[in-house]
Amino acid sequence: MKLETLTVNSFRNIGSAAIVADDRLNIFHGNNAQGKTNLLESIFLLGTMKSFRLAKNQELVQWGAANAFLKGIVAHNGITQEITLLINNEGKKARVDQKALTRLADFFGCLNVVVFSPEELQMVRGMPESRRRYLDRAIFSSDISYLALHHEYCKILRHRNAMLRKGERQGLEVWSEQLAEAGSKIVEKRVAYLEELGELLQLYYRDIAGLDEAATVTYLPQKLNRDSLQLRGETRELLLAAIQRCGMEEERLGTTLVGPHRDDIEFKLGSKALKHYGSQGEQRSFILALKMAEIEYMQRRFGHPPILLLDDMTSELDQGRNRNLMEFIDQKAMQVFITTTHLENIRMQGITRYKTFLVEDGTVIH
Amino acid sequence: MLHFAKSLTRLLGELKKLPGVGEKTALRLAFHLLKSPDNVTALAESLLEMKSRVRFCSSCFGITEEDPCYLCSANRDDGVICVVEEPQDLLAVERSQGFHGRYHVLQGALSPLSGITPANLRIAELLHRLEDGKVREVLLATNFTVEGEATALYLTKLIKPLGIRVTRLAHGIPTGSDLEYVDAATVQRALEGRSEM
Repeated sequence: MKLETLTVNSFRNIGSAAIVADDRLNIFHGNNAQGKTNLLESIFLLGTMKSFRLAKNQELVQWGAANAFLKGIVAHNGITQEITLLINNEGKKARVDQKALTRLADFFGCLNVVVFSPEELQMVRGMPESRRRYLDRAIFSSDISYLALHHEYCKILRHRNAMLRKGERQGLEVWSEQLAEAGSKIVEKRVAYLEELGELLQLYYRDIAGLDEAATVTYLPQKLNRDSLQLRGETRELLLAAIQRCGMEEERLGTTLVGPHRDDIEFKLGSKALKHYGSQGEQRSFILALKMAEIEYMQRRFGHPPILLLDDMTSELDQGRNRNLMEFIDQKAMQVFITTTHLENIRMQGITRYKTFLVEDGTVIH
Repeated sequence: MLHFAKSLTRLLGELKKLPGVGEKTALRLAFHLLKSPDNVTALAESLLEMKSRVRFCSSCFGITEEDPCYLCSANRDDGVICVVEEPQDLLAVERSQGFHGRYHVLQGALSPLSGITPANLRIAELLHRLEDGKVREVLLATNFTVEGEATALYLTKLIKPLGIRVTRLAHGIPTGSDLEYVDAATVQRALEGRSEM
């Protein structure tokens, strides 16, 4: 899967830009705040309809313009598809080969993308929310039914929280059961995903760090009488029991305390938690291995690797890890889009085939 | 806008309150009515007549002009009650011609976010109808939304202890559709609800 051309109009600070991409390595370079990451974001939007920076539609449209317009030509298995996205205050309208799509499910799979940005390095030390967001995004991109499930869960949660906030009791148990039902499906999907990802992570971490230390990811359900979920099929009952136990506390705080919206993920090296005891270097190696595992997972699932978007990572990773990453990319023959302030950072690594695009004040200069 | 035709402005205002009608459609309808000589009276009369004559049946809370309604007084199976959210849903089940029992319209579904509690629905009236022991089965045909499912679950908890059979409409792949065109979430539901051959 390759993105052949990208056209961007009135998107953030980019008035108008069109690029013909190399099918391997593409480098957006230039000073900070010129629009490099906006270009990566536009590719990510064409793949997922979502922004990896959690931006509202309004923020995506250039100041003074009514609509932002993105277009990508994607080649895959000898077929090219045109994907367009029109963004305005009212929402996003996607078209594939000029046919309107109403549901994200139909959009799914046309352009698979994975982003690797400094935000993910911060995720190790950050709030549980950032780790949940990472996990959900990773599952969305390989399992479309997860999205519908997630929407359903959020709706039930809002209803239940409304009841708790108003102190209503009549019918609360019905919403608790619904929450446990939808919640358990989400938890089980997350656990299953992490299990598969964990095996791949282990392999890549060993490659990068060259150590025999075990790198693991564990799902940490909150308030459940169990550290991690190994058993299938009993999650619903565990959630219900936990809701029972937290009844008083929930009433006092007026919000739902049990369920996947509160859970966390733990990253570990051997027996030590990466969050508290991992060095900067260990954290970077770990996240890099996690990203590689995610890409490998998608490749196994779809039969081809996704397009990788690297946001200013060469400055975050040292030479050794950069080499690891470049070797991985090379071996996968993936198409990559990289942003960097200094072109030399990438040139040094002995890559011969690439295209560069200088980004200056919202314009792309070839 | 049209200070020289206040009555037209008023009509536009009223039309725009209707679902699915915006500025342009309201204008189109209003000018159409303005030009046509006779059907305006018929339309106005039918609106007033409908409002004065249609009410809710005191037994099933569906819409009717007679009380009890046609469906409640017809010769049908008293042993089964089909519970729906709105009168439109009743019509949908009736159109199928696959159901021959009685109906009960809740006039909504549980929705804490919009402040709809069990007390706002016709639940007490439903329970009252179950008291005489004639009803063997309650068929829950609320919508397959988060709110409809919660309502079905709530009613199940109330009715099952009375020793009455509680059933739910099946859901999954629509009849006459190709599996390949059905969305993933629906297929997943259908897989979960698969049945023995």
